[in-house]
Amino acid sequence: MPEKKDEELRIGVFICHCGSNIAGYLDMEALEEFTKALPHVVFVQRNLYTCSEGGINEIKKGIVEQNLNRVVVASCTPRTHEPLFRNSCAEVGLNPYLFEMVNIRDQCSWVHMQEKEDATEKAKDLIRMGVAKAALLQPQEPIMSEVTTRALVLGGGIAGMTAALALADRGYEVVIVEKQDRLGGMMNNINKLGPSMINADELVSQKIKAIDEHPKITVFTNSELAAVKGFIGKYKVDVKTGTGTKNIDIGVILVATGASVFTPKGLYGYDGKHVITQLELEEMMKKGLDPSIKNVVMIQCVGSRNEDRPYCSRICCQVAVKNAILIRDQNPEARVSILYRDMQMYGVENEEMLRTSKARGVRYINYSPENPPKVEEEKVQVYHPLLGEELELPADLVVLATPLVAREDTHDLSQLLRVSIDENGFYLEAHVKLRPLDFATDGIFLCGSARYPANVREVVAQALGAASRASIPLSKGSVVVEPIISVLANEDACRGCGLCAALCPYGALEIRETEKGRKVHVIDVACKGCGVCAATCYQHALTINSYTDDQVTAQIEAFLGG
Amino acid sequence: MNSESGKHRVRAKLETRAQELTERLELQSVRSCYICRTCTSSCPVTFIDPRFNPLAILRMVLYGKIEEVLNSDFLWLCTSCYSCQERCPQEIPIADIMTKLKNKAFKLGNAPVGVRAQMDIIKKAGRTYPLDDFDNKKRAKAGLPELPTSCDVVKTLFESETESLK
Repeated sequence: MPEKKDEELRIGVFICHCGSNIAGYLDMEALEEFTKALPHVVFVQRNLYTCSEGGINEIKKGIVEQNLNRVVVASCTPRTHEPLFRNSCAEVGLNPYLFEMVNIRDQCSWVHMQEKEDATEKAKDLIRMGVAKAALLQPQEPIMSEVTTRALVLGGGIAGMTAALALADRGYEVVIVEKQDRLGGMMNNINKLGPSMINADELVSQKIKAIDEHPKITVFTNSELAAVKGFIGKYKVDVKTGTGTKNIDIGVILVATGASVFTPKGLYGYDGKHVITQLELEEMMKKGLDPSIKNVVMIQCVGSRNEDRPYCSRICCQVAVKNAILIRDQNPEARVSILYRDMQMYGVENEEMLRTSKARGVRYINYSPENPPKVEEEKVQVYHPLLGEELELPADLVVLATPLVAREDTHDLSQLLRVSIDENGFYLEAHVKLRPLDFATDGIFLCGSARYPANVREVVAQALGAASRASIPLSKGSVVVEPIISVLANEDACRGCGLCAALCPYGALEIRETEKGRKVHVIDVACKGCGVCAATCYQHALTINSYTDDQVTAQIEAFLGG
Repeated sequence: MNSESGKHRVRAKLETRAQELTERLELQSVRSCYICRTCTSSCPVTFIDPRFNPLAILRMVLYGKIEEVLNSDFLWLCTSCYSCQERCPQEIPIADIMTKLKNKAFKLGNAPVGVRAQMDIIKKAGRTYPLDDFDNKKRAKAGLPELPTSCDVVKTLFESETESLK
């Protein structure tokens, strides 16, 4: 319901006791008396819990009966409760953006428990500032944008294939872009998958067959992403294929580009023949291990958990244990020793696999990084801290467990997609626990070893999860965005310098040629309202809805005027 | 280079022999050790003489150094108190393993002089502390019944047992 400009301001303030969280430390009666005297405030009420059903009804009743056109709640944190209070306003017909929240708990009563008088004074300041801002609030309408129901999956490994199938089975079109000449990724080089010991080939060919037969999936091999424009629901991507560049409209993007294996050049006499990586061993095992190999020594943490790569690659211990068991299977006479720093065998079945390997006679020898094993001709020397002496192990084959590392093109791709990468070069999720499969940028999702080394089981789970996350905007067909975003409030002031566009972390700003010259354009769906652009703009041309210069100035003046 | 690789062949052969010996003595349970060190912490001998360390002995067996254990004198420091075995979370019969190792060492003629002397006393007297008439006189004074100064049953048992050990 549009508000009339000249309408009389009627502000209602609801002060929350939050049980004793606030009322136990502030003088609530004094606060109420003080608030009643503030300009435009026509109604003040205290509640035990404003967020309770009763408290919410009081807000609604106040709006209807007192004909309030601005609502202020002085209580806890907007992080948890602002949406609830906004909805309550909307339910009785008040535009939810005419609501303002004041935090007198986390930022006042909780931190000043010993100083009741001063804390009450501070709460008064906070409420006065909130009321001053509320007086200037303007109604806003949520922004809607349509979503193209087509997903782009970057990477055709096990992660990409699983995610693509999950999305396509829900009826969405999927485009897979794979750099190599065939699907499968690193799985093509793997022998068997632990702990179930099924053939990797079987799983891969099963997935490839399903993809080939799926009418909703288009696969581009020998291809890569060349350009990305747009925002959630409306991406325009250029895919460079062997035959030319294809321009495709995309709704959501899934990054499933995987990782590569670190090559241990110059470490432990690596030569690719007698001293090999676990991945090379996989290929060897696929063909069948040379029966003359009687003594195998595996060394863990080669090139990881050091200064260059401080992280644990997590999956190498499982791979080593699996391969040790498989070597004993293929060649029961072979002796396998695993030299390790710590065994990373998380999960019930992996732990069981470790026990099985021990029972099958695989020997585990601890080494410390200060005193690493020495690989010599046909033998490995390792200092055993417990026995306090060097052990000499005969070795026909030395296998180095090297970590998964971020792919070389991760940096370029992250720039293209405007997403973050972490200190190890892997892609960085929006939140490690709360949003592990999303990027901070809406509409782009993440799964598999591109995020962090993961075993196939985890990759599949992540891929299904990411597909599920990506399905949300696809199934809704549109995205609704908070209108608290950047707006070009003063078009004439904008000089089109582009500083804001360069700094925007979400790619939400672009400079366009208009009749009036170069001007910034806000892609409202992509904007998160962070305010970087408005703070940067020399000309004060940009501003943020609900955080306009006027509103913020009014708050500051209210504070100083106290 | 050739003599080097020859040495490794010898080493590999030794490894195989150690492995076979480990299997013959049925010591495979040492493989499930996860180095929690409970055995060593529980051992009253390690406390006094760190040369005897149950965990280190298990590791040596696992790493193919069983002959080194069999030739050692520290193996004989085990008092068979069973603390390690009772407390092992992986249920490795550590004390039983020590007994097996001692038996094997005995067979190889590696038992220390003291142990062999003790064996001779038991063979003769049926007990580690031999009784004679002087002891029985003291016992009579204290009103205790007389005890036999030799024990043929034990001797017979002992002989058939040492026979099997050989």
